[in-house]
Amino acid sequence: MSRTVFILVSIFLVIPALLAGVMMGAYALGGWLDGVWFPGAHRLTNILVLMLVFVMVLASLLTLAERKWSALMQNRIGPNRADLFGRPVPAGIGHFIADALKMLTKEDFRPAKANTFLYNLGPLLAFAPVFALFAVVPAGPTLEVFGKTVDMVVATPDFGLLFIFAIASLAVYGTSLAGWSSNNKFALLGGVRAASQMISYEVALGLSLVGLMMAFSTVQLPAFVGEALGTGQFRYLWGNDAAMGLRPGFDVGLPAWGIFLQPVAFVLFFAAAFAETKRAPFDMPEGESEIIGYFVEYSGMKFGMFMLSEFMEIVILSGVMVVLFFGGYHLPIGEEWLRGTELMRSYPLLLGAVLGMVFWLKVLTLCYLQLVVRWTFPRFRYDQVQKLGWKMLLPVGLVNVFVTGALVLWDPSLRLLALSGLLVIAVVLALTMAAPGEAPAEAHGEGHGHAHGDTTALPPSHAHATGHAQVHALNAHTAVPQKLETPERTPVAASH
Amino acid sequence: MADIRQKPVEPTPPDTRPEEADALEAHLETKRMYINLGPSHPAMHGTVRMRVELEGETIVSADPEIGFLHRGFQKSCENVTWTQCLPYTDRLNYVSALQNNFGFLSAVEKLIGLEIPERAKYMRVIGAELHRMADHLTMVGATGMELGGFSVFLYALEARELIMDRVTELTGARLTTSFGRIGGMNRDLPEGWKEKVLKSLDKISVVYKEIEGLLTRNRIFVDRTKGTGVISAEDALDFGFTGPCLRACGVDFDVRKARPYWVYDRMDFDVPIGRNGDNYDRYLMRMEELLQSDRIIRQALAQIPAGPIIVDDWRIALPPKPEVYGTIEGVISHFKLVMEGVQVPAGEVYDSTEGSNGELGWYLVSDGGGRPYKVHVRAPGFPILAGVPRMIEGKFLADLIPTFDTINMIGGEVEQ
Repeated sequence: MSRTVFILVSIFLVIPALLAGVMMGAYALGGWLDGVWFPGAHRLTNILVLMLVFVMVLASLLTLAERKWSALMQNRIGPNRADLFGRPVPAGIGHFIADALKMLTKEDFRPAKANTFLYNLGPLLAFAPVFALFAVVPAGPTLEVFGKTVDMVVATPDFGLLFIFAIASLAVYGTSLAGWSSNNKFALLGGVRAASQMISYEVALGLSLVGLMMAFSTVQLPAFVGEALGTGQFRYLWGNDAAMGLRPGFDVGLPAWGIFLQPVAFVLFFAAAFAETKRAPFDMPEGESEIIGYFVEYSGMKFGMFMLSEFMEIVILSGVMVVLFFGGYHLPIGEEWLRGTELMRSYPLLLGAVLGMVFWLKVLTLCYLQLVVRWTFPRFRYDQVQKLGWKMLLPVGLVNVFVTGALVLWDPSLRLLALSGLLVIAVVLALTMAAPGEAPAEAHGEGHGHAHGDTTALPPSHAHATGHAQVHALNAHTAVPQKLETPERTPVAASH
Repeated sequence: MADIRQKPVEPTPPDTRPEEADALEAHLETKRMYINLGPSHPAMHGTVRMRVELEGETIVSADPEIGFLHRGFQKSCENVTWTQCLPYTDRLNYVSALQNNFGFLSAVEKLIGLEIPERAKYMRVIGAELHRMADHLTMVGATGMELGGFSVFLYALEARELIMDRVTELTGARLTTSFGRIGGMNRDLPEGWKEKVLKSLDKISVVYKEIEGLLTRNRIFVDRTKGTGVISAEDALDFGFTGPCLRACGVDFDVRKARPYWVYDRMDFDVPIGRNGDNYDRYLMRMEELLQSDRIIRQALAQIPAGPIIVDDWRIALPPKPEVYGTIEGVISHFKLVMEGVQVPAGEVYDSTEGSNGELGWYLVSDGGGRPYKVHVRAPGFPILAGVPRMIEGKFLADLIPTFDTINMIGGEVEQ
């Protein structure tokens, strides 16, 4: 009981407060540095805050969260044993510190015949690009802090989204090099798998977002999010007068978020990006129970960098998805009203804290979604993943591009696009709900050679027939069983 | 591709095609790769080594090598009394030890020509079916885990843990049960055990639904298992497959039905038969047999009669303690049974029961003394493991994992 209370309290109070606090500090720090140094210096603090504090800390905490959340899903308690100076630490935080210490102090092993340079380069190449990915993701609004304009993004290049594609594909070099240079056959298999998987998903990844680029006519991530009401995703497709900017008031409506406009693209992007992060169900390069993984020879912090880059990819993927599909740091409703209130006008730091918190909460939710997926599905097979990438995601992505293009041309207000998107969501939901009832209730027991025991005169109905009829229905296990031909010492027929 | 377009179109394209294809293809020297899966490999449970020859990711040949868990079971049995063999049998199929215990005891009783009490027969059915469920849950869970679905494994183990608890209450041990004695059982069902078992079965059926929901219609799981590790019914029979692996090929053979022992003839249960002989069918066999074992246990618990649990014959069963302490006959019988063992008449016998993974056969030879002359186990996993190369050659390396899981080879009994 106390555990449940603890979890709920931390979910609803501690985590938002923490996120809001850090974001407020980030804005304040940025504004201060702009004042004492030069205008634009806040970008430097953004590097510090967004990449080191948020991405790094979130990624490290996700290593713990993965263990704790998977424990929640599997009716376990999860790690809770590591103490700090003899005192118990709540929520297993001690484990995450202990893990870090362990990795830093382990022997740095190198296989005798490995290529030293490439072997050392592998983890760096896997780690650094992932780190750089977050540079273009805006985590909060642009505000006037201490008289200076402070935004919450490291860089705003014109090629925003393309930067993500380009840098994301760099990470595969680390994986392949690690697999190849370890001089280990298992690692080599992992490296080859990684390379081919990345190549096949790169295409689908890029294609899935073309529709979104057309809808918002931009590739810049801040432009996707939108700053003022009516730009980017900060606008309402349908809403009351306040939402349409006709009169002040509380704005309610359907925001033009990417998920409503492009649900298909979301699924495609999610799947393809999931494949890029190399996590289950796309963890062929690791394939723990098959080939142990491309990092099988790595130890200590070098392995830690592979692992950490995986978790950082989760955070960054979530961040990108939030920006592209979930309205970035915007609230679904009422944001224009919030911005207009006296309190927020007087204290822009507060607004930055609130909206920054919204962004990170969305990111955390998507991180959780990714971990749920990871702990639910089995792993694909190597060739099945290729098939999925080339034969499913790619054609669907192409169709999506054409349909989106036509709809955007037809109705530039995006309402038609949103209608088609909502229709898709409705169809998918309906199919999901209907799925369990699909299995036809075929007579159970027909496929069984021995219908009943010989002596007991129990009625031929089986109490559990409905429970697992679908198992047989699915496979039509209704063939007349083949009889054992020559029963030397196995008199099968005797029981009939 | 650009080169092809630039070339002038010729009237006879077939002549140029091979040239083009040849030019596009990189003629690199390739060679086959040998990798050793195991004996320490996450998917090679029971310390089996698999020497796999790979062409890319395709398996050209596979060579399972056993012996890393060899303990000298047969020879050990020759040096101890018949009863003392029992603890060795625990360690054959360590996931379902009760089936080994009872199978061995049944074979010895057949050699003696002994009929055991009704209650003991029911207890053996209950114990064997409980452990069949444990075995199948382990197999289903391990398959899920090694295909990447770790949650399934933990759900399955949660259900298995319930069985473990009930078995512990029954036998006093989680793993090495050493339960039953020649001529019956050594200990009666504990007080209130029946109700606990029924309650556990109810909980297991809840977990069962979760497992089924996670795997049976899971597209990834079905894709991974359907059509992989296929073996035809003829091949399976030639290799000597038994149990769920044989039934998955469509061959209708279950020792419990073919030659009912104990009280299986009084139980109403079905034997699932597959059709394709692939991993998915083998998985479905296990899932269905879980339900059937559930049925059998419920029936057996409802039908089990009161009465003695072991034969009243001091040449075979230990005399009751008051007799041992109170009468000279009791002391002598006890002494002779413990020191010399049960005197099994000279002769040989083959007896088999349906183990979780197939026909668990016992070939026993007695020279009339208290110790076995020869104990041979027909471990169901042995011929099935021998069939693995046939099932996976030409397939992907990744297919080896579910195949190895669904045949559910148990190192303890295969390597003895």
